[in-house]
Amino acid sequence: MANSQSKTEITVQELYERLYRPTEPGQWFLLDVRNEDEAKGWRVEGPAAVPYFHLPYFAFIDDPEAALATVPPGLGEAVVVCAKGSSSEFVAELLRDAGRPAVNVTGGMIAWGDFHVPLQVPLNPAQQGRYELWQFNRFGKGCLSYAVIAGGEAIVVDPSRFPALYEDFVKSRGARIVEVLETHVHADHLSGGAQLARRNQARYRVLNAHGAEPVLGMEIAPLDGDVEIRLGGAKGVTLSARALRTPGHTPGSTSYLVDDHYLLSGDTLFVQGVGRPDLGGHAEEWSRELFHSLKHVVAGLGDEVQVLPAHFGSYEEADRQGLVRGRLGTLRSNSPEFAITDPEEFVRTMKAGVKEAPAIYGEIIKANLGLVDPGEKAGEWELGKNECAATAAKRRAAQGRA
Amino acid sequence: MEEKVLDARGLKCPMPIVKSKKALQELLAGQVLKVIATDPGSVLDFQGWAKTNPSFQLVGQRNEKDETGRDLYVHLLARNG
Repeated sequence: MANSQSKTEITVQELYERLYRPTEPGQWFLLDVRNEDEAKGWRVEGPAAVPYFHLPYFAFIDDPEAALATVPPGLGEAVVVCAKGSSSEFVAELLRDAGRPAVNVTGGMIAWGDFHVPLQVPLNPAQQGRYELWQFNRFGKGCLSYAVIAGGEAIVVDPSRFPALYEDFVKSRGARIVEVLETHVHADHLSGGAQLARRNQARYRVLNAHGAEPVLGMEIAPLDGDVEIRLGGAKGVTLSARALRTPGHTPGSTSYLVDDHYLLSGDTLFVQGVGRPDLGGHAEEWSRELFHSLKHVVAGLGDEVQVLPAHFGSYEEADRQGLVRGRLGTLRSNSPEFAITDPEEFVRTMKAGVKEAPAIYGEIIKANLGLVDPGEKAGEWELGKNECAATAAKRRAAQGRA
Repeated sequence: MEEKVLDARGLKCPMPIVKSKKALQELLAGQVLKVIATDPGSVLDFQGWAKTNPSFQLVGQRNEKDETGRDLYVHLLARNG
């Protein structure tokens, strides 16, 4: 292909695919041209070992020659990224004009944060063919949502604010959405749950056990106690998902046990660690609840149960296909939080790890309860990676090993 | 203090900074350049730019609203020397 015809833009989907492809040194590198504060908090990461270079776009305005000279040569094609994709377009063009290969990431970090990839969770032989389980990996933000499909009916769990994505996907699998479930009222991202349920005349379940009642202009189906959700009965395939109350990350946190084997654990339990209990300003009380959930509710489940959480902190928690999941038995023996047997010590450890939450989290919670409308600011509110995991026990364990 | 206004409403980055750089070159000593932007990302961008460019100072930033209630991000710049 002639140089003049080579592409100048790549989509976030293509960026994701590149990050999961083996990469030779000198093939390509990431050039981040956002300001320092933005670049410090959140950046493009993935399993490919690609160099990362940061230089704000205004350096290329102030003194283009000096800026171009700062970008190391020999790293191959520059994949240029900024917040929204327009400053990076400007920088990529400067690079190409200087004879250096460069492409712009269309839509920048906002598009990267909004990108979802559906990955099928392999089922055990006994379960294969009866139903499908899909994980939607919102890779840039570290958010996971799910679709369970059986007999032409689907449950969607923790959908993001892009309902069409789930609707199109479920339709392509020949099913319709009948239940939309939340594992809790999210603080890090805007939920699309109420909207998705309304658009599909599906039942919506969410539990806010603390503070304001949701004002979503629709009926909310119950979650108190052990609720069993049945699916696919019309076509003779039945599948049950059991709602288990697992308070701690929030007082209303609920995990869903699908077919007694797959635990959609929300922010209660991650592949590495547990959910932070301090996002509501009641770290002590909620830590105590989390301890109880781990020791009494999760403890009642078998080692072979597959844990499918609502978040991950790093792509390192995903397998080679990009799936984020863990065997409960392995999580139990590896997580320092499970090793703590004394509730007081657990509370102390959790409280020691309390860190400042992003200021916008309070507003996102209100929006998810229907109390405020982010309007066109939704994209800005959601910038950055989720910060829903507790850190204290993990840090302590790392120090212990060092 | 005399103000010179740069209307950067509706402009996507990098244009508010590209235009501010030009306007700064024409700014007289003692004048303040008032940049009115609608991109919330401009707040951190102007802070970052001021830190790395010694030719001017960011003397103020504030949020305002226009008559329709739209958020405006105002940046005040003064030349050094």
